[in-house]
Parts: sequence; structure tokens; C-alpha cells
Amino acid sequence: MSSLRARVDPHLDIDLYDADADLMALNMGPQHPSTHGVFRIKLFLDGEIIIKAVPYPGYLHRGVEKLCEKLTCVQITPIVDKHDYVAPMTNEQAINVAFETMLGVEVPRRARWMRTLLAEMQRVASHLLWLGTFTLDIGGTIGGGASVMMYTFRERELILDCFEALTGSRFHYNTHCVGGQRHDIPEGWAKQVRDAFTHIQSRITDYVEMCDGNEIFLIRSRNIGTYDADLALGVGLTGPNLRCCGIAHDLRVDRPFHAYDEIPVNVAVAEGGDCYARYVVRVAELKESCRLVLDIIDGIPEGPISSKRGAKSPIAYKLKAGLQGYTGIETPRGELGTYLIGGGGQRGAAPYRCKLRPPSLHAMSILPWALVGHTVSDTVAILGSLDPIMGEVDR
Amino acid sequence: MDELAPDTRAALHAKFPDVIPAEGDVDSQGPVVPADQHLAFAEALKNAGYRLYISCVGSHWPAAGDDEEDRYEVATVLRHPDDGKVFWWRVSIATSATVPSLYPLFGGADWQEREQFDLVGVVFDGHPDLRRLMMPEDWPGHPLRKEYAIDTPHAPWR
Repeated sequence: MSSLRARVDPHLDIDLYDADADLMALNMGPQHPSTHGVFRIKLFLDGEIIIKAVPYPGYLHRGVEKLCEKLTCVQITPIVDKHDYVAPMTNEQAINVAFETMLGVEVPRRARWMRTLLAEMQRVASHLLWLGTFTLDIGGTIGGGASVMMYTFRERELILDCFEALTGSRFHYNTHCVGGQRHDIPEGWAKQVRDAFTHIQSRITDYVEMCDGNEIFLIRSRNIGTYDADLALGVGLTGPNLRCCGIAHDLRVDRPFHAYDEIPVNVAVAEGGDCYARYVVRVAELKESCRLVLDIIDGIPEGPISSKRGAKSPIAYKLKAGLQGYTGIETPRGELGTYLIGGGGQRGAAPYRCKLRPPSLHAMSILPWALVGHTVSDTVAILGSLDPIMGEVDR
Repeated sequence: MDELAPDTRAALHAKFPDVIPAEGDVDSQGPVVPADQHLAFAEALKNAGYRLYISCVGSHWPAAGDDEEDRYEVATVLRHPDDGKVFWWRVSIATSATVPSLYPLFGGADWQEREQFDLVGVVFDGHPDLRRLMMPEDWPGHPLRKEYAIDTPHAPWR
């Protein structure tokens, strides 16, 4: 098994593998509860050991990049909400920051602080959902995983309530626009957020105890799905999936967007690059984001929430034809980037080409390396530890 | 696009004087690199620390006149993981030509180039397994090409 892990070739010619071996091809998915969506992997097995894995994404492809060529930035925002449906807030931010950067639109300080706050709240909600489903994946009821899932979902509900009070919807908020925010903070909201996050903060130590004190959890996550930093960088892993192999790259610190230049963030890093290291990074980020939310909520400056209030026509935000550029921000899953070329439909108000760079797509493309040498049951743990959202992978 | 560090710029200028000028601004839209230098340019950047593979973006540009040919433009985005600087460059080719694959340098190019082949139609030379990534294997045409109308009818079953 170790020799297999030492020389992984994702494009291994299966006919050249040991002629005496009794090989089997096994399809996991597209409808498999542990694939976190509609996703298929074809596994080539020697006994129970995976010797080659061929993922097949695309079952959820909705042709969003084609749609974007006909839509203005105002119309694109509610569509990108549906990509990463576990963290829609940061998805909206990514596309709006991209348009703002390309157009040179200023965002008022209050709006930037609000965006920072919403991004951190969304990170907590997203990581809570991940922790719940991951423990469910690798432990199930026997490993105690089911109980962690119930608790994390209960806590996540508090955050969704906060979002509902601010924007009117629990998912798919459409609260960001070019130049700032659509909804200002209502009365009593700060207290609601403070109460929710003080509660969540006090609960995180319980989850850590439930996981770290669980033998099954540790056995099933340590030294499973290991990759090194060079491979992770080459494949384009970002976020916790990259920081789990010792690289302290976080756009919030390296390339501050929103108000991160005013708000210091401690970047969580772990060594090892296995499923357990990814768990360690995400739990540390949970704690850090809770701290940030409680810091930010008391410090939001007064002022306008949008610099473009009253701009009625989205044509006002027209990218110059042929102008192109890439902008990326850090979301709970890593770097969500947008490559825009100006001059598309609606008399040039839509982009000519809008390429979205979802962090989950890159996370999934490491599977042919990460799965080799492991067993079928480890596939579930490795897949879960990468925190993929299929809506985002396939777009 | 972020500025290149002075020593990186000097090293790139020495190898690719037509792409990276010694002084003045580098094209903020991303410099255009000849297709035959694409792989070497990527390698030079990787050696300069741009090791994080971000994205590959293909776009289709229909010909303006009858005597011209449709073109593809392929932009590649890389990031420096230590300081977070981002850099991209473009390769412009006729639709009948190919672009060298970056798979030997970046594992992530495997799926990204497959996606651009699938949706835009760019053919990457040297890619180990150039199949469709998003669309079904037997899908007709490449959806992100400009002549592919957004309301192209298709059967809901195959």
C-alpha cells in the first residue's frame, strides 16, 4: 500500500497493472449519500485497495457561465447564490468584489465592515455544517458522529436566523450589490448576533471533545488521504485544504479585501495534510471566526451602506469591451475567483466571458492522487474532509 | 494584476524580452505569450514562486472579416502562495491550432484544461486525457462558443 502511495499516477493505464491481480471496477455514485451531492467516482480495486480513481463531475452542470454572458452584475448576484449553497454570502461577495475591482467602484467603510462580518458568520455556519456531515461520514451513529451533526445543525440554525432577520431569507440572500449592501442592520440585530455567537463559542469545545475523545474518529481520520504541499499547490487547493499541509496562505491576510486590512486575522495552519489535519484547521477557524464576529459586531462604523444608492440602471456598471481581469476572495472553502472579460450581451452591460473559479472543483481534482492506496470506506472520509459542494463544482 | 517583484521581472525579461519589457508597465490585461513559449513561461513563473495554480480561462473570439479565422484566447492565472500576488497571461491562437498543456507542471491543469476543451473547444496539446468534464460525452458542440445560442434546443433525454 505504501509503495502504491509513493508513485501515484492519476492516468495509470489499468492494463499495465499486475496481470495476475484480480481487479474490479466499482462505481460510487452518482446517487450515493456520502458523495455530498451528485457525483460519481469510478474506483479500480485490487482486493479492497484502490489503485486508480476516476471522478466524473458534471451531473449538476447548469451552464451558469453561459447565462452570465447575457446578464448584468445585478442579475448575476442571485444566480451565484446557488453555487455554493452552504455559503451563499461569500459567493455574492466574490462576484460583486470582482465587478467593483474592475469598475473601480468605492465601497463605503460601513459596507466593508458589514461584508467582513457576514463573511465570518458564513464561515462559522459553513464549517458547522461541514463538521456535522464529516463526523456523520466517518463515524455514523457508532462513532458518535450522528450526535455531533445534530448539535452543529442546531447551532447553525441560530446563524441562519440572524441572516433571515437581516435579509429576509435563510438562504440565497441577494444582499450584496455593486458599491455596497442592500439591507442595513435592523434594530436589535447586533444583540441577536452577539447572543448566537457567544453560545456557539461556548459549544465548540464540546464538539472537539466529542471528536478528539472518540477512538473511531481518530483512527478513521489520521494518516488518511494525505497529500503534500507541492501537490496541493499544483492542483490549486486553497483554504483549509491547503493550510492543512503547513502553508499559511490565506487571502484575508495576504491580499486583504473587505475590511480585513483593519481587522487582524490569525491564520490556522496544521501539519500532515491528512483528514485529521483538515479537521484541526477547520475547528481552529471556527473558534477564530467566532472571535472575529464578536469583535466586529461592536465595531461597525456608522455611515452609508452603499456608494451607488439610487443608481437605477444596471447599465451604469458597464465593463469596457475587452477589459479583463481576475479577482479572488477567501471563502470558507478557499479562493473563489472570478475572471471577467467585458463587452457581452445587453449592449455590453453583461460580461463577454465570466469564468468562476470554485475552490471545490480544485479540491475534487486532487481525488485521483489522494484516494490511491486507501480502501473504499476511506473514500467517504477523504471526500468528506475536502468539504466539496457539488453545486459549486459543476456550476 | 499584481506587479512582479523586481528580480522575478528581470529573470523573465532575460528569457522572454518580447513579453515582459525591462521597464514600464506590463500589460495589465495580462501579457500575450506566443503559444510555443507558453509552457516555458509557466515554468519560469513556477520557479519564481508562482506555484499555486489558480485557473485557466478560454474564450472564443469570432472572426471580424471573411478572410480571418476565429480565435481562442486562453488565460492562465497563477498565484504566489507566500505573498499572495497573482499573475496571469494570455495565449491567442487560431481555432485550428493547439495550446501546449500545463499538466506536466501543474496537476490542476488536468481538469481545468478539460473544462475549457469541453465548454469552449480549445484543444490542449500534450494533455494526458482530454475528455469532456462537465457536459455529457456525446454532447454536440461547445456551449461557450459564441455561435452556440443560449436557447439551442436539446432533447431532455438521450
